[in-house]
Amino acid sequence: MITSIKDGLRTGLTTAIIFTFLILIGFTSVAANIIGDVLGNPEALNDESQLPVENLLILIGLAGFITGLVTIRKGSSPPWIDVLLRGLTGGILAGLIVGIVIYIVGSFHMEGVDFRAYLPNLGTAQLGYLLFYSTPLAASTTYLLYFTVFSLVGALVRKTLTMLTGLSTQLKNLKSRVSNWSDTKVFKSFASNQLFQAGLIILVGVGLYFLPLVWGSYWNYIMGTVAIYILLGLGLNIIVGFSGQLVLGYVAFFATGAYTFALLTAPEPHAVGLNLWVAVGLSTLVSILTGLLLGLPILRLRGDYLAIVTLGFGEIVRILIRSDLLTPLTNGPKGVTNVGQPIWRGHIFTDINYMHLLMLLVLAGLFIAKRLKDSRTGRAWIAIREDQTVAQATGVDTYKYKILALLLGAAFAGLSGALFASRNQFTGPEDFTLMVSVNVLCIVIIGGMGSLPGIVLGAFVLKGLPELLRELADYRLLAFGALLVVMMIVRPEGLWPGQNNKKGKMAAFTNSLGEDNLEERA
Amino acid sequence: MLEVKNLKVFYGAINALKDISFNLDEGEIVALIGANGAGKSTTLNTISGIIRPVSGKIKYKDQDLTKISPPQIVQMGIVQVPEGRKIFTRMTVYENLEMGAYTIHDKTRVKNNIDKVFSIFPRLEERQRQMGGTLSGGEQQMLAIGRALMADPLLLLMDEPSMGLAPLLVEQIFEVIQNINQQGVSILLVEQNANMALSIADRAYVLETGQVALSGDAEELLKNPIVKESYLGG
Repeated sequence: MITSIKDGLRTGLTTAIIFTFLILIGFTSVAANIIGDVLGNPEALNDESQLPVENLLILIGLAGFITGLVTIRKGSSPPWIDVLLRGLTGGILAGLIVGIVIYIVGSFHMEGVDFRAYLPNLGTAQLGYLLFYSTPLAASTTYLLYFTVFSLVGALVRKTLTMLTGLSTQLKNLKSRVSNWSDTKVFKSFASNQLFQAGLIILVGVGLYFLPLVWGSYWNYIMGTVAIYILLGLGLNIIVGFSGQLVLGYVAFFATGAYTFALLTAPEPHAVGLNLWVAVGLSTLVSILTGLLLGLPILRLRGDYLAIVTLGFGEIVRILIRSDLLTPLTNGPKGVTNVGQPIWRGHIFTDINYMHLLMLLVLAGLFIAKRLKDSRTGRAWIAIREDQTVAQATGVDTYKYKILALLLGAAFAGLSGALFASRNQFTGPEDFTLMVSVNVLCIVIIGGMGSLPGIVLGAFVLKGLPELLRELADYRLLAFGALLVVMMIVRPEGLWPGQNNKKGKMAAFTNSLGEDNLEERA
Repeated sequence: MLEVKNLKVFYGAINALKDISFNLDEGEIVALIGANGAGKSTTLNTISGIIRPVSGKIKYKDQDLTKISPPQIVQMGIVQVPEGRKIFTRMTVYENLEMGAYTIHDKTRVKNNIDKVFSIFPRLEERQRQMGGTLSGGEQQMLAIGRALMADPLLLLMDEPSMGLAPLLVEQIFEVIQNINQQGVSILLVEQNANMALSIADRAYVLETGQVALSGDAEELLKNPIVKESYLGG
């Protein structure tokens, strides 16, 4: 009884905090609009530009419903009276807090207080909508009512579901079946059929060739960015995923590549006018040299220290580029414009040409990364990642291989930097902020450390998905952060984990078992 | 075969090895015994080249190991079995063994060595597809030894092979160590379990706070009242 109330109150409080936060940043109206879009409700009712209240009510109901679902703990099936209690306490507390917030904010609003000075998204239109275009008291009562009722419904639905079918266990089975489908015999025999493989490759190849022709320049731009990030991901994966060195300033190599290419090909500020393909090669080379410069002194550091030093390095490069000191060389904060573009059959590269080139490079990059992973070098890297001291004891020259990983990673970054600058026809210091390093690292981790398909998937999720989330515009980072948190809880090993990581979980599990148990098995 | 002379090692300001000298002849099992922090593991890591000494020499086949890189030392036939059964937990048993032969480029030789290891440890053959981390403690120790054997060692440096293992398993592991020795591999054994170590060693050195306190034939040391008092539990 007491625990039920406690659970309900805890869940209610959590919902209230999250929902209040979303209200204050103005996210609720955006979410309500999305609901409206999904349901096909009109965006604005009439000339007064009042938004349809139903959408907001549905959103509140949904929040209440989820609160109710969550008040029942996973796998438990409390008696009906407790279910009622949990749903009610959760809903009432959430509704009460949100209602009070709405009441307070609404009252001030009615008295003419302008919130926009502190909360830029709480304008008159927004607040009116949040108050359902009525009085604060009526609005807050509605919030309370909706939260309570739907939370109750949520709790009851959860209980009914667990009771009727034992759904949660079935779900679990289904989940494990789905995640193991690639291990099944049917899939394996089918996938290893050579005819099938050849057919698939041709199909994918033809698809890849024609896609850029048909989906237009907007998608070519987005997918081009995704491709560049796949290349960056592949490069950083060699450093972080394979050899296990946490390098946080990866953007430095990207910037070096982009700037080398831009300065060698743009008319301003130097008018070198180098042949583009030579410039691409040189950009890659300069990035590799930068890698050497960074790597030789610092690769003796491990773990946290390495991360901090490289983090600083990334920022140093950006700040140097925009510094007064180097402005004569780099054009400073203004950036370099009119970066060279390749000529193909008499005309300047179109978005389609860029896309084709990028696709080819991604395929080549995947091939190289795959070969590296399966090579002697790859095994040395993985040994270093697993345990540097033991790798050394088995005769791996750890220093050499760590440097090699850094140089190869830098080469990937330099190449993609050159392409990035060429495609955008511009490069400026603000293209190379810390966020780039973080994004690329996220791609590697989200995809599943060391896993190549994971990187492709990760790049799509990280750079492609935000474009699909355009609707959320200002809230992209919020939505994205939420997604990351959820993913780390649900799939900590990454979206498409590498072979070693998948089993790693099992190993960690057995290691955590008591030593005594293990002795008995021996 | 191996001659360590006046070895001195610092960890920052801490003087881990003050003055260590000892030698090991071909075919011998030599034990280094002593309490925690006596400098046993540091001595092994210095021989492997993982730690560099401030002064002193390590002579092996007329060369000074203190000037040679760890991979080259492995290639010269000195292989370490690290403390605490450090295996690659997320590689299979087979891959672990392959890693052990990292310095060997000849594939048939690697295959032969794997067969050799499997004949010494049939248990590893049964579990060759299993992840290293899923093995039991004893099996992990077997794997660590097997991995070291993959590099065709002439001298094995063993760091606390008995650590954390049940008494019965410790006996098995020590039997294996003796067998390996009989096949011509010299062994430098670091142990806290002085009793076990002295029972299979030819000679032994007792280390105390970075210095050699006592040395002699293992059998003599077993009877030595000071050793009995301090290391054999009275």
